[in-house]
Amino acid sequence: MRRLACKPFALALLAFTVPAACAADWMQLPQWEADLDTRLVSSDGQKSFVNGGLGTLRYDHTQSGLRLGRARLALSEALGEVWSLRLDASAWGDNDRNPLDLTEAYLQFRPYPFAGYRFRLKAGVFHAPLSLENRAAGWESPYTLSYSAINTWLGEELRTIGVEGQLDWLGTRSGRGFDLALTGGLFGWNDPAGTVIATRGFNLSDRQTTLFGRVGSSNSSPLKPIELFHEIDNRPGYYAGVEGRYFDRIVVRVLHYDNRADPAAFDSAIGKFAWQTHFNSVGVRAEGAGGWTAIVQWLDGQTYTDPQGEDIKWPFRARFALVSRQLGNHRLSIRYDSFTVDTESEDGDGAQHGHAWTAAYVFEPDMHWPDMKWKITLEWLRVTSDAYYRADELGTPRLATETQVQLAVRFALGPLAR
Amino acid sequence: MFQIRCIITAWVALSGLLKAAGALAATLVVAVQTSDGRPLAGAVLTVHALSGSEHPAAPVNAVMDQVERAFVPDLLVIPAGSTVEFPNSDSVSHQIYSFSAAKKFQLPLYRGKRYPPVRFDQVGFVTLGCNIHDPMLAYVVVTDAPYFGRTDSRGSWSVEVPRGTYRVTVWHPRMRESAELGREMTAGDTDRTAVTVRLTKPLQPAPLESGHSWDAY
Repeated sequence: MRRLACKPFALALLAFTVPAACAADWMQLPQWEADLDTRLVSSDGQKSFVNGGLGTLRYDHTQSGLRLGRARLALSEALGEVWSLRLDASAWGDNDRNPLDLTEAYLQFRPYPFAGYRFRLKAGVFHAPLSLENRAAGWESPYTLSYSAINTWLGEELRTIGVEGQLDWLGTRSGRGFDLALTGGLFGWNDPAGTVIATRGFNLSDRQTTLFGRVGSSNSSPLKPIELFHEIDNRPGYYAGVEGRYFDRIVVRVLHYDNRADPAAFDSAIGKFAWQTHFNSVGVRAEGAGGWTAIVQWLDGQTYTDPQGEDIKWPFRARFALVSRQLGNHRLSIRYDSFTVDTESEDGDGAQHGHAWTAAYVFEPDMHWPDMKWKITLEWLRVTSDAYYRADELGTPRLATETQVQLAVRFALGPLAR
Repeated sequence: MFQIRCIITAWVALSGLLKAAGALAATLVVAVQTSDGRPLAGAVLTVHALSGSEHPAAPVNAVMDQVERAFVPDLLVIPAGSTVEFPNSDSVSHQIYSFSAAKKFQLPLYRGKRYPPVRFDQVGFVTLGCNIHDPMLAYVVVTDAPYFGRTDSRGSWSVEVPRGTYRVTVWHPRMRESAELGREMTAGDTDRTAVTVRLTKPLQPAPLESGHSWDAY
């Protein structure tokens, strides 16, 4: 059984390192943050992908009302001078396997820069450096509640369970106008990545799959829940990317990802084939005077499985453009998403295409107490999509337009709250 | 009566001395403009004497705090031999570094006032960063000039100097000019000598006001 062998290892590492940290004279109490995000939801969405349906929203028409958006606890502990440990755990308020589970847990090595260069190393469970939208703590977006289709998918199906190295050239600290970074990651335990995109397609949500969790709940129907963090073929995947920054104004990220899964490999213990998934992503974020921000991201790839020589491929591509403006404590954002899953199946299995508009208003009141933040967000989201499986699996029309309005009140407490 | 006469005599003598001293001093007024002619606030000006001898300004003990994940102030101009204390008023730890030639140093992870002040002996420009929070950026300008300062919101700065010839040098963290930008000024017969220095290239973009304090990825 090739279940996530690193999980007990990570916990053992944690159990070992924290007392070690406690013993040292540079010990400081772990820095922490606790967030509670509650939602008032109105949705006409079809049965949500969270409950085994083919709706593209997190909340469907049966879930309007008061909901838990996310409860989150984050810890950051310095382990000596250049090592640190980060843990990020969340509860999403649905019937996942564990009520509270990890979204990220990693050790970071961050030595001092030397002659303008700095090397960084992460080991554990974390998000690959792909999103320019999900830049806030907890991999949240400061612009909207629901992530773009691209970043929803990345949060759902991908997680680096392995190591990542980054070499920075700190030009802005050397009198230049830009910084450069080269990133490379080596990972395992992500062979089912691609399953969701081929069976449910893209959706727009802010629910990240947890390390021990799954997409879909225990009572998912008709689509069964999908577990994503398994090693099936014992072949590590990799990613490699470049990031350029022009001062704090423009960020460009380019990354190639390939989980290098053997599409014919099968794990009888969990009854799953591996999905060979690879893609390229390009993103640009530009920020200007007057509080303006613009983000665009393209993602183009393919997932492929080969059960008993069936050799089925699903090319997919998605893109979004977001424009946002901050005026004092207020922020207005609008985003357009477009997404497509093609199929090489003659019947059209798994084909999906659609687009979405998102508009959000965020208000962050000034706080007179340190380490305490309030955030109020109102978001309107409309997704129009055409999905083959709606007709094939559910017997409903392929085309659907779903609308979701959320009012979120988020309270964050702790030294890391910001 | 004799006492009053003495006081009057001393007052007249003192006035004469002050007048004589005044006759030896002049005011240098420097205006700094961007390449498109707008006043540039916060530009650093250093003044060296080209004639006669000069004495560098006396060292000082300065403070650069860290508040809300930013250096406060984000630029200090200090005479060589000065010290700077770097307290951390945030509830999160910072880790200060510089790999600038004029002063390479690190302050390991800390909160509060943990370390003694750092001494800056070598003249030059020092760029500071935090190894935990990359958006944090600050500068320390170390000078051996007898006179220095920064332009006000109108892009202007003035200083009283003995009569003579001086070289005024302009620096700003956002300047693109690679060569030194300066002017010669002669404080001669007039009490006030003014010069306007205009940058030759557009400024680099200013740090965003909105900041990136919530940036975590």
